[in-house]
This record gives sequence, C-alpha cells and structure tokens, in this order.
Amino acid sequence: MSGKSAHKNCLLKVIILGDGGVGKSCLMNRFVNNHFDDHSFHTIGVEFLNKEMKIKNEMYTLQIWDTAGQERFKSLRTPFYRGSDICMLTYAVDDKSSFQSLGMWKNEFVYYSDIKDGSAFPFVVVANKVDISEEKRQVSEVEARNWCKENGDLPYIETSAKDAINVDVAFNMAVDIWSQLEAEMDKQGMSNDTIRIDPNRNGKREACCGL
Amino acid sequence: METKSKSMYDMSSSGTEIFTHGGVGYVPPSATKDDVQTCGTLSIVSYSFGKCIEWKPNDVSIETDGSEQEWAMVNTSKSPSASSSQGDANPQRWLSVRIPISEIKSYRVSNKKTKLLLVHKDRLTHTAFYFQFENADCFTKSLRSVVRTRRSRHDKHTYNIVQERVDPQMPHSFSDFNLLTDRKETVWKFVSDMRSKPYETTLSTFSKFSEYLLYKNPDERPSEEVARLFEGRPQQPQNPALDGSKSDGLSEYLIVERLKPRVLCPRGQPLSVTQWANAMDAEGRISDVKELKKIIFEGGVQDSIRYEVWKFLLGYFPWDSSTHERQELRQVKTEEYFRMKLQWKSMTPEQEARFSDFRDRKTLIEKDVNRTDRTLPFFEGDDNPNLGLLYDVLMTYVMYDFDLGYVQGMSDLLSPILSVMSNEVDAFWCFVGFMKRVFRNFDMDQSGMKKQLSQLHTLLSAVHPDLSHFLDEHDSGNMFFCFRWLLVWFKREFTHQEIMVLWEVMWTELPCSNFHLLVSVAILEREKDVLIENNYGFTEILKHVNDLSYKMNLHDVLATATAIFKQLESSPNLTVATRRVLGLSGGSSHNSSSSEDDSLSDGLACEMAALEKDCDQGDTTGVTPEK
Ligand SMILES: Nc1nc2c(ncn2[C@@H]2O[C@H](COP(=O)(O)OP(=O)(O)OP(=O)(O)O)[C@@H](O)[C@H]2O)c(=O)[nH]1
Ligand SMILES: [Mg+2]
Repeated sequence: MSGKSAHKNCLLKVIILGDGGVGKSCLMNRFVNNHFDDHSFHTIGVEFLNKEMKIKNEMYTLQIWDTAGQERFKSLRTPFYRGSDICMLTYAVDDKSSFQSLGMWKNEFVYYSDIKDGSAFPFVVVANKVDISEEKRQVSEVEARNWCKENGDLPYIETSAKDAINVDVAFNMAVDIWSQLEAEMDKQGMSNDTIRIDPNRNGKREACCGL
Repeated sequence: METKSKSMYDMSSSGTEIFTHGGVGYVPPSATKDDVQTCGTLSIVSYSFGKCIEWKPNDVSIETDGSEQEWAMVNTSKSPSASSSQGDANPQRWLSVRIPISEIKSYRVSNKKTKLLLVHKDRLTHTAFYFQFENADCFTKSLRSVVRTRRSRHDKHTYNIVQERVDPQMPHSFSDFNLLTDRKETVWKFVSDMRSKPYETTLSTFSKFSEYLLYKNPDERPSEEVARLFEGRPQQPQNPALDGSKSDGLSEYLIVERLKPRVLCPRGQPLSVTQWANAMDAEGRISDVKELKKIIFEGGVQDSIRYEVWKFLLGYFPWDSSTHERQELRQVKTEEYFRMKLQWKSMTPEQEARFSDFRDRKTLIEKDVNRTDRTLPFFEGDDNPNLGLLYDVLMTYVMYDFDLGYVQGMSDLLSPILSVMSNEVDAFWCFVGFMKRVFRNFDMDQSGMKKQLSQLHTLLSAVHPDLSHFLDEHDSGNMFFCFRWLLVWFKREFTHQEIMVLWEVMWTELPCSNFHLLVSVAILEREKDVLIENNYGFTEILKHVNDLSYKMNLHDVLATATAIFKQLESSPNLTVATRRVLGLSGGSSHNSSSSEDDSLSDGLACEMAALEKDCDQGDTTGVTPEK
C-alpha cells in the first residue's frame, strides 16, 4: 500500500516539444514501447504514455506528453505545459527550420508552464534523426551545441528514434538533470531557510525519497 | 451494456444498464434470521417497458454463460405477497431480483446510509439492500436521475417516488402487458444465451414496442407536468442539511427526468445499386433527395456506388442535375482544377524561396502525406503513386484557398475520399465540399473547435447530467479529450470501412447538422460508468478516451446517437441551448411553453443560464490559458 502511494507520488511529467514531423511521437514510442513505426500518423490533440523507470534506486513513473507541433493548435497545446517537470526540446537534424524553432518552443514553454525560473528548469535539447545520411543533414552538432550554450547551457543529445540511438539515454539524462536541480533546490531551500515555492514538486520528492 | 433476445415477452428482454453499483448485499426473504447477506450488484436497468432496479449476486453473474439464471420478479400490484423466494426450489442458488420502479412507492436510507429500503406500492413488501463499501447515496443519486422524488413530510429519510415520466402512458403493471401467462408466476427463467440471437430481430421488436409506449397516448402533459415538476422543487434547497447527499446538481437532474424514453431503432441496409438507379429519372435527375438521404442515413451506401453517391452528398454534383449537365460540369471542373494545379506546379525554386507562406504549407503537406493512412492498401508501400495524388490534391487545395492553406487533419479528411474516387479531380472537388462543412475546425484561433466542444457539453448535460457534472468536477468540462474526434470526424477512432459509412451518414446532415456531437454523446454514454466508477481525473479521462480508438462498434454507436436525437427531439423541456445545438425550432407549443418555464423559475433558470453561458463561451472552458 505504501509502495503504491509512493510510486504515485513519483510521477514525473515530461513534455516533448518541437515542430511537426521532427519525431516527437516516434521518440516517445521508441522509449516506451521500443517500437518504431515509419508511417505512424501525425498527432492530433495531445497524447501521453507512461513508463516506469528506476533512478538511483527509486521508482519513477514518467508520464510523457506528446503534442501536435503545428502552430495552429497552439491554444490547445499550451494548457498542458503546466505542471511539467521536464521539457525535451526536439528538432530533426535534417530540418533546419525545426532547429530554428527551438527558441520559440522554449519561450512558449516558459511562458505557459508557469515555471518560476526558466534557467533552473530541466530542459534537454534533442537532435533527432541522426541516422540520416550526412548530406541530408542540415544542422551540425557544433551549430547546435553553440545554440545550447547561448541559451542557458542546455544539455544536448543526438538521437535516432528509428535506429534506437540514445533514446533511453536522452530520457535518463533528462531525469538526472531534474534530480540534480531538485537536490540543489533543496539545499538552497535549507540554507536560505526559505519556504519552498513549489509545494507540489516538493511533495513528490518527499513522498518518494522518504525525506 | 445491452443484452439481447428474440422476444420481449419473456423476461429476458433487452435492457440497458443505466447505473450499476457493486458491493451491495441482499438478504433473501426466504433466509433464516442468521443468514448472511449475499453480495452482489445493484443496477438500474432500462427496458422498453420501463426502468427496473435489479440486484444480481456476484457469483451468478460470473457463471452465467450457458447456464440458467433466474429472475425474481417482485411484482406487488397483482400479487402482494409475492417475493423472490417463491418457486425457488434450491435455496443455495440465489436468485436475482428485479423490481420495476413503477412498483416502488418510496425509499428510505438508514443505518448510517448503509441500508436502502424500498417500500413497494402495496406498502407491505419491503426490499432492503445493504451497501457494503460506500454509502447508499451514490445509488439514490442515480435513482433520482431517472425518477422524480419528493421528500416525505413525515420522515426526512424517506423519499416518495413521484412517477417516472412515462407512467401516464404506461400500463399500470407488467401484467397489463400480458407478459405472463400465469399471473401468479413471478419467477422467470432467464436464459442468458442472448448473444447468439439475431440482433436485428431484437431491435425491431424492441423499437415497435417502445413506439407503442411513446405514442399511444400523446400530449396530455405539458402544463400540468411542468407544474408538478416545480411543485416539489423548493423543498430541496431549503433543507439541504436534512439530506446528506445534498441536491447534487438539481437543475441538471431536472433536465434528465424530462426526457422521454429512448427508442432504439435498427440500422438499415446500405443504399443499393438498384435503389440508386431507380432514384434517377430518365435524364438522370434525382427528385426524391429526402428519401435517398434517409436511406443513406439509416444504412450508408453500398461500396460499388460510393464514388458516385459521394459526389452528390458532398455538393460536387447538384442533386437535380441531369447526366448530361454533370458531364459538362465535370469538364469545367477538371479544367479549373488543372489550372490551379499548374499554379503551384509552375512555381520556380526562386519564387518559392521568396514565398515563405507557400513554403510552410508545402513542407507541412510533404510531412503529412507520408504519415496518412499508410496501412491502407491504397496508400501502402514506399513508392505508391497514390501518395503523389494525395500530395497534389492537398497542394492544389492550398491554391484554391490559400488563407486556410493546409492544416494538420486535412490529410485525414482527404484520404478516404481519394481512396474512393481514385481520381484526383473528383477527389479534389469532393474534398472542397467536405471542407466547406468543416473549415471552422481549422480556424486560426480554434474557435470553431471550441464552440463544438462546448456544444457537446451542452448536449451531454441534457442527456447525462451526471456525467457532464462529473467531467466538470474533474477538470474536463472543456471536453478537450474529444478534440480529435471532432477535428477529423472520428477518422482516428474507426476503421477505414467504418469511417466511410460514418461520414456518408453524417454528410446527409440528418437528423441535424450536429449529428457528430450526438455520436460523441453516444460514445461517451458507453464509457460513463467506467469514467465515474474509477473516478478518473483529467489525465485518465484523456487517456481512456484516446485509447477507445478502434474499439467501438460503429453500428451500435450510430443507433444510439439516432435514438438520443429522437429522445431529445420528443422531450418538451429542453433548454434553449440544447435546442439550438440540435437545430430544433423553439416555435412549437411544447417548446415555447418550456422556454417560458426557463425564465419563470427563478433559481433553476439562473442555474441553467449559468450552465449554458459557461458552455457557450469557448474562452472560459479552460482550453485557453489565462495570461
Ligand atoms: N530517419 C528517421 N526518421 C524518423 C526518426 N524519427 C521519426 N522519423 C520520421 O519522421 C516522421 C515524423 O515523426 P513523428 O514522430 O510522427 O513526428 P512528430 O514530431 O510527432 O510530429 P507531429 O505529431 O506532427 O507533431 C515520421 O514519418 C517518422 O518516420 C528518426 O529517428 N530517423
Ligand atoms: Mg506526433
């Protein structure tokens, strides 16, 4: 019984953002079901999948939210940003404009998610479709890493949902960063003797880590 | 949940479970004093002859298949002493209990809300149920949504059942139907091999029977009925403290009890080649469009003539055009299509480079063409030429309506049309016709979608106020979880074959242009118990609904949606908002009197107005974040 409630409290909401067609749904499906479908439908509305994950001996349930990337559906997508613990900013390396949209996605997320401090939030930049041939590639690693540096030193990872490259790593990395940030916030909270701003997330941690 | 049988003159007639509550104990009348309760489920089941309260022991419901299940009929009006114990030779095997609500005089909740006592009309027979896990309120709440109740003046825990709405027209008891050959016989054998029996037979019997109930004795109601409705009303708000269950959504429950009973009609046969040929005169004109649409609405269209019929349904061919005129029209339209196609085809890379709006649309289409119905044989395989057709039609549509351009979802709408037409020109013009109906789905600000979602909420509140109330309380009152259904007309929820039927049905615009919302209500109705009993929150509701994809039976859904429309249409006391969504005029005598009632009744009107207002304003639905 207590195990069950603890597991419930360790729910991490992960949201995958990025232009239409960069492979958000494919990343989610590769990660959760280890399955890739070349011709899966584009996403309408919002979908999510859950996946259990063990991090530092704690069980977490990642609730991965996948939305439609097209601008038109912005007003239906943004309400889901609230309460996110992790945000994966995704683009496809063979699609320059999806890379150029990263800034827009980050801003949109910060604006609608109600997070207090965009610089202390676990973002991960995911460069998907690295399996494609070199001549098709439109965004180099250097270029991408520069952007990440300029935008708050965001962690960067290259993935392929198709060939199952680094997909697990990307999600693990995101959770790691999340837990580091949490630990830091805790420390700060204690040394500054301040009241925690986000009782929700705090509750989650306490319940699951037994603090 | 429906069970089916051949005839309704035995007790195995088909009924629809309206509510089910598990963990309810029952002590059989035959039991000795020390006998323990048997645990089972207590339900309200709707039959064509009226609603009943049924209790079934747990183990029987598990081992029914093939074996016999026995129903105890507690029928007090003719045989006051009858009880479920009669005729049961085997005390070990426990009977199910069925009590027509029309036979119940009142109910009383006691023992800290764990005991529900039903007092029968003869005032002698009492049936008690014991709620083992939750209190009886959940059940009485359900009960109150199907019958009108009034608190007893003598006992605050007792509620008298004011008759079910249909009762004036209903035969007084079962025996009046001559359902029973022997009136003293109160136990029926219930053979539960229903699944094997023909569906159609059941449905038609069922509907004839209910029609009789519905139309036998029409219209003596409105003023008196409405008066009665409001008579008891002030009591509840005045004494909320007396009743632990509060007046859970009073206005809403008043709406549902005003609804007429549901009449389920069988689906028809698809429009046949002969019927289609016969519908045209010598010149090829179709005169009786109404009749034709009716056939299509009831049964769809046969595969082999779809490509022809759809052109009419989608407004490409006028119904009254002659064969010759259509040939000419087609020529004109073909030229027009290729002119527009040439516009984008002839665009040079340099032009494109300076035309970002065009480029954006083009890339979106490129991405989505690869992701549209690729499992259909028509679009299967990597170098399938039909993908090129899909692309060309969508690109040409961008030139046809550049402002709308291409929005995700459009490829879903085009794909079945293209696969039926297999010709890009016909597919294009049919698609244009389809888009004329649904372009609001793709509004820049999504206002068209928001409006439909709120209209869906309005309808749901009329049909299942308890469900809409539940959704409201679980952050889902904006109905967002139905977004995908409405955006692409259930394209992602049904198989290709089913979608063709569903769409041609909806293209008839019968019985109203918002039939897709009724389809949604029909689907939600089936999920109601799961959603409420699991007490799903926003995310679980979303997931549950998303996961319904490909798990629904279209024919059942359509039959239910049609029945819901008829039910609402014939119910005199719908709210203005509901009538508006259904396209029903407010002009008839019933309706005009009821709209006055809306404005007359102070508190109720306010509550309803608040509800309607809430629904009419897309922006307050919570879909748009406040800034
Ligand atoms: N080569 C390659 N193709 C991929 C990869 N991941 C996804 N794709 C392809 O990219 C296309 C789009 O993938 P989706 O996952 O549907 O994209 P999305 O980001 O979810 O798009 P929307 O739902 O429209 O927002 C699909 O046709 C996939 O086959 C990858 O790692 N490598
Ligand atoms: Mg997607």
